[in-house]
Amino acid sequence: MKRLRLLVVTVLAAVFVSAASAAKKSKELNLFAWSEYFPQEVLDGFTEETGIKINYETYASSEEMLAKLIAGDGAYDLVQPSDYMAEVMIRNKMLRPLDLKQLPNRKNIEDQFLHMPHDPEGKFTVPFMIGTVGIVVNTDVVKEPVRGYKDLFQSKYKDRIVVVNDNREIVSWALVTLGLDQNDITPENLKKVRPLIAEWVKLIKVYDSDSPKTALLGGDVDLGVVWSGEAARLWEEDKKFAYILPEEGAHPFVDVMAIPAKAPHVDAAHLFLDYIMRAEVSKLISDEFPYMNPNAAARALLSEEQLANPASYPEGMDYMNVFRDIGRGAAAIDQLMTDLKSAQ
Amino acid sequence: MSGFDLPLFPGERRPGWVGWLLLAPLILWMAAFVVVPTAILAVYSFCQRDELGRVVFEFSFENYVRVLSPTYLWIFVRSIGYAALTTVICIVVGFPAAWCIARSSERWRSRLVVLLMIPFWTSFLIRTYAWIAILKGEGLLSGLLKYLGVISTPLEILYTPTAVVLGLVYAYLPFMILPIYSSAEKLDGALIEAAHDLGCGPLRVFSQVILPLVKPGLYAGVLMVFVPAIGMFAITDLMGGARVPMIGNVIQNQFFQARDWPFGAALGCVFTLLFVVAYALWQRRSQPIREVRT
Repeated sequence: MKRLRLLVVTVLAAVFVSAASAAKKSKELNLFAWSEYFPQEVLDGFTEETGIKINYETYASSEEMLAKLIAGDGAYDLVQPSDYMAEVMIRNKMLRPLDLKQLPNRKNIEDQFLHMPHDPEGKFTVPFMIGTVGIVVNTDVVKEPVRGYKDLFQSKYKDRIVVVNDNREIVSWALVTLGLDQNDITPENLKKVRPLIAEWVKLIKVYDSDSPKTALLGGDVDLGVVWSGEAARLWEEDKKFAYILPEEGAHPFVDVMAIPAKAPHVDAAHLFLDYIMRAEVSKLISDEFPYMNPNAAARALLSEEQLANPASYPEGMDYMNVFRDIGRGAAAIDQLMTDLKSAQ
Repeated sequence: MSGFDLPLFPGERRPGWVGWLLLAPLILWMAAFVVVPTAILAVYSFCQRDELGRVVFEFSFENYVRVLSPTYLWIFVRSIGYAALTTVICIVVGFPAAWCIARSSERWRSRLVVLLMIPFWTSFLIRTYAWIAILKGEGLLSGLLKYLGVISTPLEILYTPTAVVLGLVYAYLPFMILPIYSSAEKLDGALIEAAHDLGCGPLRVFSQVILPLVKPGLYAGVLMVFVPAIGMFAITDLMGGARVPMIGNVIQNQFFQARDWPFGAALGCVFTLLFVVAYALWQRRSQPIREVRT
């Protein structure tokens, strides 16, 4: 047994020594971001310019990011939460205040987007891209006008619909359809939307958050409720895909960049933030991921076609109508949706 | 009795220090990545959560009460059903294939086994996306069948339970074929000839000679297909359109959507416990009782 113990001690010692030496190097940056959001060109450009190596890891939902950030306890230098997630992270002191002096390019960001409900003074976050959630229609197949959720979720479109696989989104659509507040997740409100969502669940063919455009392009469905970036790419591919903001009420989502409180490479994180807020770098991101760019200087560099894309820059959008944090309500929503999906 | 008493059989020796040394990496590995995580899971499952979904160390049975509600029990049953169907199809398709490979000439045998391994050179997710490209409404299969005049409307397989089972069978079939193959390869052909000489028909040869001798491989195959198939969530998401929740999806959601780690832990514990109990029962039934020294 003594030999065994010696072996354990040696292995543990080796692990600790290598971990300690890794922390000393500041020539790297641990970037944790949404999948499909950073063109490789942008990351390579930063490394070329500064010599800082980027360790790029991705996730598919803000909750996944949160879970891994908590579990990893401070391994990341930059994260990319959505609005409501940034709000709860600020409240729980999980984000580090930004050193604005190190971010001269922050002036490129349109002012209203630096004062949003999740971070009213813009102290902790800078907006990265802004999207909406709306309806996509393949107008070659669907000839009748679709103006909102009521027109979309009809029995004649059974098995022709894709929606993002995000339970909170689906519940929020039902809330606004019934004229309720999208952020008011109470047991009474969940009871009210339950029968409506039960009807919808019977009509939906695919739930896909990562790439809802796949089912639309493949001809498996003709309608969908998707992220605007997906809709914008569909429109770029084929103009038959129309994007509509639902008349019951649409909400934007703001993906921000922020530095976790325990980030090991704070300087590198600031350097990277300032780099991606440069007009020409931000434009590269817009070229590949056509969301609404809050960077006014970058927008000035976009082509007319890019700016005319109805999914990227929809008319009449209220960008302040964001999701707010619902805390423990997320579990109630998950239970409701699991129940309804399972019951069919 | 001393602290470490395995039932030893005549002729077996207690492992010496070399044996322990050789085992040490495995024991460390298992302790660090199986025993400790499972223990953490068990502790978490009795805790509560804060608004971020983090574990709060206050004792509670609440999570287990929820696991036992009809919604989640039904999801368990459904997942087991899909896995069982997958296993049966894998046996039906895999057994003859494994038999043919094992009985072919030596030159062909190694070639066929390599063919079986080739899919593993590509990432599992990429192969699943390939299936999407084949099965989708305007995909390869639909196009081919339309061209041949077999169908007139686009094929509707993708995002249905059929697609899920197809994906599962595709993913796990090699894990059924390989162990059966390794059992069948060792089978002495003279035994089959002897059975024929003694007047057995083909059916009796199969049930009384081949099957008992190939059984260990078959059992290993069943374990290697059935167990992972229950918890699989990528295929149900990608090929099933995430319409019908399976237990793997529900557990994943607790961490990545619902912010409820303790409930996810409780689901995981019940899931693990099911395996342990089922496996123990099965071991007792399928193994002849050995003589154990007391």
